[in-house]
Amino acid sequence: MDPIRRSLLGQLAKLTAGAALVPLSSVASAGINDQPPRRGGDPEKRYGMLIDLRRCIGCQACTVSCHIENAAPLGNFRTVVSQFEVEHEETGELATFMLPRLCNHCENPPCVPVCPVQATFQRQDGIVVVDSDRCVGCAYCVNACPYDARFINPRTQTADKCTFCAHRLEANLLPACVESCVGGARIIGDMRDPQSEISQLIEQHRGELMVLKPEKNTLPQVFYLGMDERFTTRPDGIKPAIWDVANQNGKEIGYEFDGH
Amino acid sequence: MDKSRRRLLKGAVAAGGAATFAVGYSGPLIKMGKGVTGSAGETPKHNIYGNALAPEYHVDAKSGELTLNPDQRTAFTICYGCTTKCGVRVRVDNNTDEVLRVIGNPYHPLSSEPHLPMQTPVVEALRSVSGYQGQGLAGRSTACARGNAMMAQITSPHRVTDCLKRVGERGSHRWEKISFEKLIEEVCEGGDLFGEGPVDGLRAIHNHDELIDPDNPEYGPKANQLLMMEATDYGRSALLKRFGNNAFGTRNYGHHGSYCGLAFRMGSGAMMDDLAKNAHTKPDYANAKFALFIGTAPSQAGNPFKRQGRLLAEARSLGNLDYIVIDPALNATASHASVERSRWIPIRPSSDNALAMALVQWLLDHEAYAADYLAIPNQQTAESAGEVGHTNATHLVIEDENHPRVGHFLRRSDIGDAEPDGDDDELLVVDDNGQLLPASKVSKAALFVERDIETPEGPVQVKSSLTKLKDAANEHTLKEYADYCGIAESQITHVAERFAAYGRDAVVDCHGGMMSGSGFYAAYGIQMLNLLAGNMNRQGGAALGAGKFNGMADGPRYDLESFPDMRKPQGVFVSRSRFAYEKTSEYKRKVAAGENPYPAKAPWRSLAPPILTEQLASALDGYPYPLKAVIGCMANPFYGQAGLPGLIAEKFKNPRNLGLYVAIDGFINETNQYADYIVPDSVMYEVWGFTGAWSGVVSKMTTACWPVVEPRQQKTEDGEPVSMDSFFIAVAKRLGLPGFGDNAIPGADGKVYPLDRAEDFYLRAAANVAFMNQPLPAADESDIQHGGIAPLLPKIEQTLPAEERGPVAYLYARGGRFEDHSDAYLGKDKLKNAWTKPLCVYNAQVGTAIDSQTGKRLSGTPRYQEPQMSDGRLMREVFSEKDWPLLAFSYKSNIMNSYAIGLERLRMIKPYNPVLMHTDDARERGISHGDTVRLKSPGGEAIGLALVTDGVMKGSLGIEHSYGHTELGGSDHVIDGETMEGVEWVRAGVNINDLGFADPTRKVMGTWLEGVSGASVRQGLPIEVSRIAEEA
Repeated sequence: MDPIRRSLLGQLAKLTAGAALVPLSSVASAGINDQPPRRGGDPEKRYGMLIDLRRCIGCQACTVSCHIENAAPLGNFRTVVSQFEVEHEETGELATFMLPRLCNHCENPPCVPVCPVQATFQRQDGIVVVDSDRCVGCAYCVNACPYDARFINPRTQTADKCTFCAHRLEANLLPACVESCVGGARIIGDMRDPQSEISQLIEQHRGELMVLKPEKNTLPQVFYLGMDERFTTRPDGIKPAIWDVANQNGKEIGYEFDGH
Repeated sequence: MDKSRRRLLKGAVAAGGAATFAVGYSGPLIKMGKGVTGSAGETPKHNIYGNALAPEYHVDAKSGELTLNPDQRTAFTICYGCTTKCGVRVRVDNNTDEVLRVIGNPYHPLSSEPHLPMQTPVVEALRSVSGYQGQGLAGRSTACARGNAMMAQITSPHRVTDCLKRVGERGSHRWEKISFEKLIEEVCEGGDLFGEGPVDGLRAIHNHDELIDPDNPEYGPKANQLLMMEATDYGRSALLKRFGNNAFGTRNYGHHGSYCGLAFRMGSGAMMDDLAKNAHTKPDYANAKFALFIGTAPSQAGNPFKRQGRLLAEARSLGNLDYIVIDPALNATASHASVERSRWIPIRPSSDNALAMALVQWLLDHEAYAADYLAIPNQQTAESAGEVGHTNATHLVIEDENHPRVGHFLRRSDIGDAEPDGDDDELLVVDDNGQLLPASKVSKAALFVERDIETPEGPVQVKSSLTKLKDAANEHTLKEYADYCGIAESQITHVAERFAAYGRDAVVDCHGGMMSGSGFYAAYGIQMLNLLAGNMNRQGGAALGAGKFNGMADGPRYDLESFPDMRKPQGVFVSRSRFAYEKTSEYKRKVAAGENPYPAKAPWRSLAPPILTEQLASALDGYPYPLKAVIGCMANPFYGQAGLPGLIAEKFKNPRNLGLYVAIDGFINETNQYADYIVPDSVMYEVWGFTGAWSGVVSKMTTACWPVVEPRQQKTEDGEPVSMDSFFIAVAKRLGLPGFGDNAIPGADGKVYPLDRAEDFYLRAAANVAFMNQPLPAADESDIQHGGIAPLLPKIEQTLPAEERGPVAYLYARGGRFEDHSDAYLGKDKLKNAWTKPLCVYNAQVGTAIDSQTGKRLSGTPRYQEPQMSDGRLMREVFSEKDWPLLAFSYKSNIMNSYAIGLERLRMIKPYNPVLMHTDDARERGISHGDTVRLKSPGGEAIGLALVTDGVMKGSLGIEHSYGHTELGGSDHVIDGETMEGVEWVRAGVNINDLGFADPTRKVMGTWLEGVSGASVRQGLPIEVSRIAEEA
């Protein structure tokens, strides 16, 4: 990627993050594009998350606590932290980049309109959920999500994803990933409440926040602070980690939790 | 473009499910099973929340009123997920006694920052971590990935829940279940237990009337032939040692330290003048401004893991802290998101020593040290100068080799001014005017002194400690140091300048990276930087930590330290440590016979604590003496010590070399697979105990552990859970040992109380903790309810008198006792809990100790030394670079732990540890990213997959620790004919210790150990790597 393209993308990422912050009230109930009306949830609230990457230590506490809280099947994740190695172009110095990922609870969620049975919907508080009573497991939403944030739960055979731990938010508790965040990177809150920590952090860092894949116009509501704009899209030319698992004789034995 | 963004994206997604996150949907379109809508799968509990757990309580958004979920309780206890020992809040299903999820204890400094004041009502604590008014964001109290995943241990299919006795030879993986009472009988009485001939039971070994070896009476009584070994103090060490050292009366006890971080600990101990306990410090992260991390990587791993990670993350995001991490491998500490504040510099494994001496040299050359502070020669002057402590920089060391006190500090008695060891036999220093004076008479002493002193016996040459350090630092040039450690001179200078620029606000830390063949002096040298900066006891500097409320001592309510008829162990440790070779009968015999006493038959390390790294191998070789029995609690040296299995497994398996091995554990590991008996232990959340914190916690604290769920294993005939506690109690009572049963625990009221059950001991320790200093108040009904201690109350009532119950309940309801956060600091720049022993620029205890192999005195200051073998030869003389061109090193995983591999939720995130190879090293060997490679060392072999990267030092190979197991669920075990099946994935990966080797320069068998400390060498193992061609 050449530097010009990179910096343009950076601006785009920042602008889109800014744009995503504006239309809260205007789109809340009306729906945009071909979004169906929102239903359920507290219309007074709009939940969002801010992740301060400078505070993420990549410990995966979020990954495991979410997995337990939400009884995800082994090998499937509602949230996870990707780890990258990054090199300075001039000095050659290397550093580690941690990228926590989860459902972005987009303002314009592409997963919702594709659902043939209206099982996937957006609540009035912005949380995108799946009604497992209706879901037929067709996986249109899994394919529609540009963030790989959904999977078909092999046990329930329905679409599965992050709910921002709506069941905990409703009890006035923090989502599992937030309460277990060792570095204190994850902040959740009601963005309609100007006094909430997330509102104040957004206000303070408005110009620096970025979202993933801004060009998809999904208006993600998970905002990243300390983001490198090149990670807002899946970076090209990345040498992948080794996902093979070998036994002690060097024989490939596959991923233990495939098919769980 | 923002300069900080000028970084290329490189590959290597090193952790965390990037692959698996994307493969959510892989199958065909799912069959439509329920007509128009709905699926064919299981119906979850809730149509939106799925199978998510029901909240443990809810908080009213307006009033803040907190309502508990009657089906659940949350209780505070300890996590065993690593050796940090965090305090956690365990969420339990009241109906099934199942642990639902685990999170941090908000009162606990290892889980929260800042932690809540002790007087906070528990209901308020629960509210403080909730979403109510956003409180929980600042107040969050966390559990890490391991801490979250550990609960699966309780219900693990690989857990041992019955007393087991081996069937067939040791290590054959066949077992029979026996009753606890039968196990106790056999272990105590011995006999022909396995049809292999007679075995001495503990009763026979418990012999204090006969010596092990009358020719070497210093070895002590035969009772020393029992070795007690454990992993670490998870809160029950006091009871284990009470049994081993003071009831049974054996001298031999070992734990994991010598294959964990002992070289670091002793290097610190040398600088802090505390080789008895090896005190160490950690940066005061909350206030640090500049830090160097050498061979340690806070936030990647280390101890205290979460506390370091959280404070580091916070400090770099707020812009308060800049740091450089110097390590052979890139790790999580070097953060791209905080690129301006964190930097990684690669270093050659096992060469930290050279870097340390280069930095010392630069600081001395540029007078970049706290000169006024170093010039203070005594504590009184320090205090009047507003300092908390002082150093021995100006003290004078006797240099003449022929002087009887060579290596010691010059005292008034040496110049005929006082009687030796008298009250006035003070240290001498040189003042500003060049005058030799007692230290107490000088407020500012000369830093650099080298001169002859007149004494009644003639002139004696002396040097100040700082001069000796300078001499040592100048033994090599900066260029030589740079060549040794692989860091360019300009880079070293840059690091030194950054460090110096912060003056007394710079701090350095090191840890497991010091486990090399020169680790003691590396750690001592690195810690010397803290001394030169003058940062000890200062906010943002090197912090000792505030220690613990020790309830297992002679406390305000009970004496848990001593008891009627207690024994004091006597004799030489089987590891030949803390005992100078020159004091042995063997040495004296050789000298009397006119022989050169050196080298000793095997290393005697007068400075080292008892070390598990020597105990087993030495005993099997019978030098200084053999062992007859081992009782091990969670100890796993076969996995942890480089090269041990290859060295001793065959001998260890033979009962003629070691008659009895009893393991106390919830799991079968690489070591206790060879046990004769396994006593099924409680696992975390089921245990009693009290733990403190390691350094790095600046407020005093003690974690209280209690069985928040009912232990799942077998019960004794008396209905108590079988465990470490019940085992020692039963054995002691059967053998009639003091300190257990009736007449065991002296109370402050003059009565003596019994020790028949675990709670007799631990609840009394709780009373001690609760009544220390200002006694705790009594818990109220709300505390009891919200702290989930209802199941504990009957035990408290049964064991303790009425006046102790309330305060003890108060303590358990909060998971321990914790000094308030605000009490940790003194004024604007100092730490309250200070280290006031003079810090050692030169350590006379080290400088007068003799290497039993070479007969030479050790250096009392840090100095550069290449990794050596036992006989003093350089490792590279024995194992040439030509044959073994690469140096293997290990680093701690940010996910896995050395005994956590059985946890599926961790394997699911990081199933494997590919080995890190530098791009150039891989290219030279025709190895590509992902290739299968063979790692070969002088003592072992391993096969792995190569992760080719620039994120590792050229010439080295990095292995993430905690993989490559064979046990802990990795192998089949047959119990009463039924197979407990092993899981292949548990065995995946590479264990660096499989590349360890026997030290070929030794006469008594031993693995490669660091000379001064006896620490297992795992950093800088010589290896060669080759590609394995694709096999059909």
